[in-house]
Amino acid sequence: MLAIYRWLRKGLIAMANTEDASDDVRTDGGTTTAPAGGDSNGAISRLSDAFDRRFGSDFVESSPFWLPPFLLMALAVYGAISWNLLISLTDYQGFAQAIDYSNLDFEMYSKALADPGFMDAAANTLVLLLAFTGSTLLVGLLLAILVDRGIRFENTFRTVYLLPMSLSFVVTAQFWLWMYNYNNGAANLVLGYLNLGPFHWIGNQDIVLWAVIFALMWQFSGYAMVVYLAGLRAIPNEHYEAAKVDGASTFKMYWRVIIPQLKGATISAAVVLMVFALKAFDFLYSLVSGYRPPNGSDILATKMVREAYQNLNWAYGSAIAIVLFLMALGVIGPYLYHQYKRDNL
Amino acid sequence: MTQQTNTNRLSRRSYVKAAGLIGTVGLGGIAGCSGDSNGGDGTTTSGGDGTTTTTSDGGSGAPLEVLHGWTGGDGAKAADALQSAFEEAHPDVNFEFNPIGGGGNQNLDAVVANRLQSNDPPSSFANWPGKNLLRYEGVLGNVDDVWSEAGFEDSHIQEAVDLHQQNGAYRAVPLGSHRLNCLFYNKAVVEEAGVDVDSLDSPSALISAMDQVASSTDKTPMTHAMSGTWTTTQLWAAVMLGENGYDSYMNFIEGNGSEDEVRAAFERTAEILENYISDDAASLDLTQSNQNIINGNAAFIHQGNWAAGAYRNAENFAYDEDWGFKTFPGTENMYTLHFDSFLYPANNPTPEKTKTFMKFVGSAEAQIAFNQYKGSIPTRTDVDMSQFGPYLQETAEDFADAEYRPPTLQHGLAVTSQKMTQLNEVISGEFTGPYNVDAATTGFLDAVSN
Repeated sequence: MLAIYRWLRKGLIAMANTEDASDDVRTDGGTTTAPAGGDSNGAISRLSDAFDRRFGSDFVESSPFWLPPFLLMALAVYGAISWNLLISLTDYQGFAQAIDYSNLDFEMYSKALADPGFMDAAANTLVLLLAFTGSTLLVGLLLAILVDRGIRFENTFRTVYLLPMSLSFVVTAQFWLWMYNYNNGAANLVLGYLNLGPFHWIGNQDIVLWAVIFALMWQFSGYAMVVYLAGLRAIPNEHYEAAKVDGASTFKMYWRVIIPQLKGATISAAVVLMVFALKAFDFLYSLVSGYRPPNGSDILATKMVREAYQNLNWAYGSAIAIVLFLMALGVIGPYLYHQYKRDNL
Repeated sequence: MTQQTNTNRLSRRSYVKAAGLIGTVGLGGIAGCSGDSNGGDGTTTSGGDGTTTTTSDGGSGAPLEVLHGWTGGDGAKAADALQSAFEEAHPDVNFEFNPIGGGGNQNLDAVVANRLQSNDPPSSFANWPGKNLLRYEGVLGNVDDVWSEAGFEDSHIQEAVDLHQQNGAYRAVPLGSHRLNCLFYNKAVVEEAGVDVDSLDSPSALISAMDQVASSTDKTPMTHAMSGTWTTTQLWAAVMLGENGYDSYMNFIEGNGSEDEVRAAFERTAEILENYISDDAASLDLTQSNQNIINGNAAFIHQGNWAAGAYRNAENFAYDEDWGFKTFPGTENMYTLHFDSFLYPANNPTPEKTKTFMKFVGSAEAQIAFNQYKGSIPTRTDVDMSQFGPYLQETAEDFADAEYRPPTLQHGLAVTSQKMTQLNEVISGEFTGPYNVDAATTGFLDAVSN
């Protein structure tokens, strides 16, 4: 917030300055600015340099390009988030009374902490986030390595694995609902040949969350594969050859040489997958065509919608939304920081 | 040449700059205007219409916008029939009858909630009356004049009169009624098992009948859809009525339930769900579950009588030949009451037209048009039932003759939506297998008592 404020203020000053000097010869944007402060370390000085660079003489000229989208984003995203935060501090519920902003407190958050339903949903959301992301990355990596070994029909396999990603949650949820049917679903049939099961995939509250995670993993491992494949293609052949010359086994070559170089791919895929995990609402909604997922698979997103629209607890729903937002921020924040450190932002 | 390009460039630059400025100003303007106009519209129209209700807004002006959730199968057909009947009766009214589908009215509720909250109410919307009206407390208008001018108080049962009021004023008009205490069965299956359905007069008799089905056929005794919790809450309410009677049920919904009786109902329900439903119940929804009756894979199903709509649409599946109906055992003198009604929001955008519509909704004409397709019955007691099939004719007789008409627990009439959500939370947490009778009993009693 402070940064935005400073930034706006600087912008206004800059605007005033250019208006004063409107008769002066305008410097052509971009060429006058020196490639500032590469030596000066420290986030703050770099930040101020960046501001100088950005709010130099071309601030006003460039504003037609960034200001409209900036205002739109500010209103629709950041404005909505702030308003939501404000509502979560009130006691707003039902239709009868208007929102009372005069009495702000954290009551809704303490209510959430005391609500076992919320804690379950939060725990499930966290499990879903970690297990889904981890397993999807692992499966994606294995697929990518297999596809990268120069197999026949490589393009076909790539398409086959990526295809589930292009399907909507509504479709995949219905698929898996049928496949998880106790009596005639594919999951129990296949396990039946191995003399395992049958399992109550949806009905057993200890299993259902893992069943959901597996279904989501099926859908998104193709995406992880594509990201890893791009990472693998960027690794020069010499690295493979050098490892072989040094006598490394195939496993050791990947473990010691190749996979460590896929860190960037892992991070970017993981962030996208985690955000998808937080959006599993669609999948659960389609699974039961309602806001209440099977017992044991309730997540914060479904809980939030139930509180807001079934119980009309607007403030409580907003508080859950803020918690969800903070979780998303907890995922995105470190990633942005990491990118910033690498000068990618 | 150089000069020309130079001027060109300058003009292009200033052009871009100007366009950008206009864009920025325009955007700010739009943001400001839309904010203003929203507020303006909201207050002026509501104020204007609210104060000057005498000015007729028929024919011109804002259209009559009514929201409903009947999008699938029977519901869509019934909604179409209602719409054409209304348009025929009132050709001068610009009528928008907008369906909002999905998830058992959940999306409809969400849309209505958003619009009421942003002070942009529709003319009317379909919902449940009774305790459910509390959900909309403060945003519903008064339709006393509709009830008195159309004489609905005389043509409707007393429960309808009571349940459509809130704080001493009428807030809604009923369109039709479904029955909740229904047990449907596949005739071939129960005959194969040698069960005499009409003799079943208590939940325990039902259980021994299901035992007989399980032992003498390879069919499922009872099909139950458990992908949602509402079916189980509904089943529990039927068992509660059948096991403990009307008074016990009414005490429960008023928050003074007897713990022993609630527990007994849960024990019975658990006995049914543990032993007699299909293994894949958890992944079944109502349509799939009901299909088990039509296909002859299951003997019984407990549902509201909307389930009968699917039997009517199934081929070669006739009432009294292939499927049968029995009031839920133990509830023979009762009609578990459900209403589909239209609610009247305050700050109504079209008060006159909406009242015309609501008078129409309560009329015999509209109720016949709608209910014969919906598979429900008119809420008026003076309607000629000759256009309805034999099954609904019997239901209408039961409706008029029933000794008790307990309000439905799951469909809005008996408890507030908040308590209903809480009850379903309990079912979801404690009663979807394993069936924890003690925790469910405590949970239910807690949910209704506060």
